[in-house]
Amino acid sequence: MSSTQTHPNTYAATEAPGQPINSKLILPFMTAVRDVFQKMAGVKTTVGKPFLKTEAGTSYEVCGIIGFSGEITGSVMLSFSDAAAEKLVEAFAGVCMKRTDPDFADAVGELANMVAGAAKKSLGAQASISTPSVVIGKGFIVALTHAHPCLVIPCGSPFGDFAVEVSIKRNPAI
Amino acid sequence: MNFNPEEIYQITATIWEAALGLRIGPGSPDSIGNHARSTAACIQITGAWNGAILLGCPAELSRLAASIMFSSDAAKVTIADLQDAVAELVNMIGGNFKALLPETCYLSLPSVVEGGDYSARVPGSTLLGRVPFICEGHVVSITVLEKMNQQSAAA
Repeated sequence: MSSTQTHPNTYAATEAPGQPINSKLILPFMTAVRDVFQKMAGVKTTVGKPFLKTEAGTSYEVCGIIGFSGEITGSVMLSFSDAAAEKLVEAFAGVCMKRTDPDFADAVGELANMVAGAAKKSLGAQASISTPSVVIGKGFIVALTHAHPCLVIPCGSPFGDFAVEVSIKRNPAI
Repeated sequence: MNFNPEEIYQITATIWEAALGLRIGPGSPDSIGNHARSTAACIQITGAWNGAILLGCPAELSRLAASIMFSSDAAKVTIADLQDAVAELVNMIGGNFKALLPETCYLSLPSVVEGGDYSARVPGSTLLGRVPFICEGHVVSITVLEKMNQQSAAA
């Protein structure tokens, strides 16, 4: 079982009973994904029910990672299949790019940056988001942090599925 | 900021000695090569200075580091252990590096990639410098990246 929703505002995992995640931290990312892809790429996306990530591994082959620091700490990762990434990047940038193109990573990083930035704004926290890092390849494993539980938001698009992995927590006032 | 490779080397040498009990030696830039499997750990810095520190390490050395750090048999080290060990190392390097930066800067939590066929990039950043060193016969590199347009943004 990946997760159970035990409270309207809390996704609590049976595997990690001491670390419930407040859904108020997750909902802004779900909204941000829809808004950013609709506004910036003209792509309508669907967002599924988040579940707790219990096994190491990366959802797909193209990953954009953003770090949060300050009142919110942790990381967020957008993870796309090769095919979905190439088509979403084309819709976003208006130019066809292969994953070997240097600008391709820039575009993936920018998408991650916009989703994280929009979510941060909704969270209303005094937090900074980092420059994105982008990992492209096959058979790699990304570990965001083991300090916080990681929720996976499964997303769909006409070009293929992708995922947003959210591993953040709100800290007491700094 | 001015990049001083010697400072990075000293920070790394101190951490390697304190956390792992291993000594490092200087490496040449030409010695940074491809490994069958490698670990890349990235920690981002935001605030008065924006950039990132990347630690690139062959998986074999990451495994050794994890076995030392967690006092376990290298053969029994899991991928998660290996990632935790490298994350801790880059976190310590980032923390010490932060002390060289203007106040106030914040460290992100590290992200770690392990695998055999991947590339890791930090778009929007420019290479400030790379310091290669050798540990137990393995070439390790510390890369410092600075966010582009930082000076104009700060002005």
